[in-house]
Amino acid sequence: MTSEVSGPSVDTVESLMKEAETLKIKLEEERQKLNDVTLASVAERLEIINYMNIKPRRTLKGHQAKVLCSDWSPDKRHIVSSSQDGKMIIWDAYTTNKEHAVTMPTTWVMACAYAPSGNLVACGGLDNKVTVYPLSLDEDVTLRKKTVGTHTSYMSCCIFPNSDQQILTGSGDSTCALWDVESGQLLQSFHGHSADVMTIDLAPSETGNTFVSGSCDKLVLIWDMRSGHCVQSFEGHESDVNSVKFHPSGDAVATGSDDSTCRLFDLRADKEVATYSKESIIFGVNSVDFSVSGRLLFSGYNDYTVNVWDTLKCVRVCLLYGHENRVSCLQVSPDGTALSTGSWDSTLRVWA
Amino acid sequence: MDMVISNLQQQRAVTEQLRREAAIRRMPVSQAVSDIVKYISDHMQDDCLLVGFSSQRINPFREKSPCTVL
Repeated sequence: MTSEVSGPSVDTVESLMKEAETLKIKLEEERQKLNDVTLASVAERLEIINYMNIKPRRTLKGHQAKVLCSDWSPDKRHIVSSSQDGKMIIWDAYTTNKEHAVTMPTTWVMACAYAPSGNLVACGGLDNKVTVYPLSLDEDVTLRKKTVGTHTSYMSCCIFPNSDQQILTGSGDSTCALWDVESGQLLQSFHGHSADVMTIDLAPSETGNTFVSGSCDKLVLIWDMRSGHCVQSFEGHESDVNSVKFHPSGDAVATGSDDSTCRLFDLRADKEVATYSKESIIFGVNSVDFSVSGRLLFSGYNDYTVNVWDTLKCVRVCLLYGHENRVSCLQVSPDGTALSTGSWDSTLRVWA
Repeated sequence: MDMVISNLQQQRAVTEQLRREAAIRRMPVSQAVSDIVKYISDHMQDDCLLVGFSSQRINPFREKSPCTVL
């Protein structure tokens, strides 16, 4: 619509740049016009959170180097983790037993994920590839492994969007990609970031075709999986965005960044609505996740701690100490009863 | 010449992206935020990490009791 204002149909770089500048100003004005309250002021009337009884319950030991990623099984009992040591381990978190330990043909296995069926896991990292392993207790899982997709740089994150048939990946090549697991075909690629993609998450709706990505270009982008288009972008972070997670309502995303803040961006207001930070917190955030209601935001930091934020009052509720090095990954279990954390101290811990 | 064309294509993509983003409908922050508050209030009672377990026995990761029932 605005294109008509810019006049003749012959675009020049100059006319397009001018229009882009005008649009940017208009966008910011529109957002500010609707910025009528702050989240913390709306939350003032709510009760404060005073009951917190989260304790360390399990320690999973077995990796020989930094734990880089982990994911809960849909059965709420098993965890897959991947490490700098080149191993992927499947844990029984109840008993702390290792059910599978797979050695990858690479170090720095930066990403791993359970498929929705719980019968398949995917992982990859510095090998630039996403490989799937069907899980079976009867035979060596490496016998049936399958390379699904290859990026032109490291694979930083992967996730199955609602079925075992497709996998979505993010990469240091600054793109995201959707792959068909069976054929290995590239179904869609997502171009928009100008630096390494570090993190992706799916909108919670089962029919959803929306996902979010965070990148070293400091941007958070919302994508339409079918069209391949970026539909929204959020600026604000002052450094790499290491983690993004959809709010359980699906209407907002939380982020964690090297700038030592976590933020909440609302999709429908199209803007940042909260910042979770303290002057005393000066270390980067590697991973964030919500409790099942969305009231708590857990975030793992480079100072070895997990901070728990009240997302509404925008204050820190408590700190979880235990790890002896950076907290690299964390995730609330599917039923919301436990929190898993992984660290550069080579262990994973389960809190409940 | 190729450089000029690629610059033009790149700038066109940037501008088209901004046109799409400028065209989306937005709601006031007050409404967006009150919907988030409502969602959380509706789901808080099921949030074990927030409100705890009604009994530690239903916590799958509780410490095993030293005594077992025979």
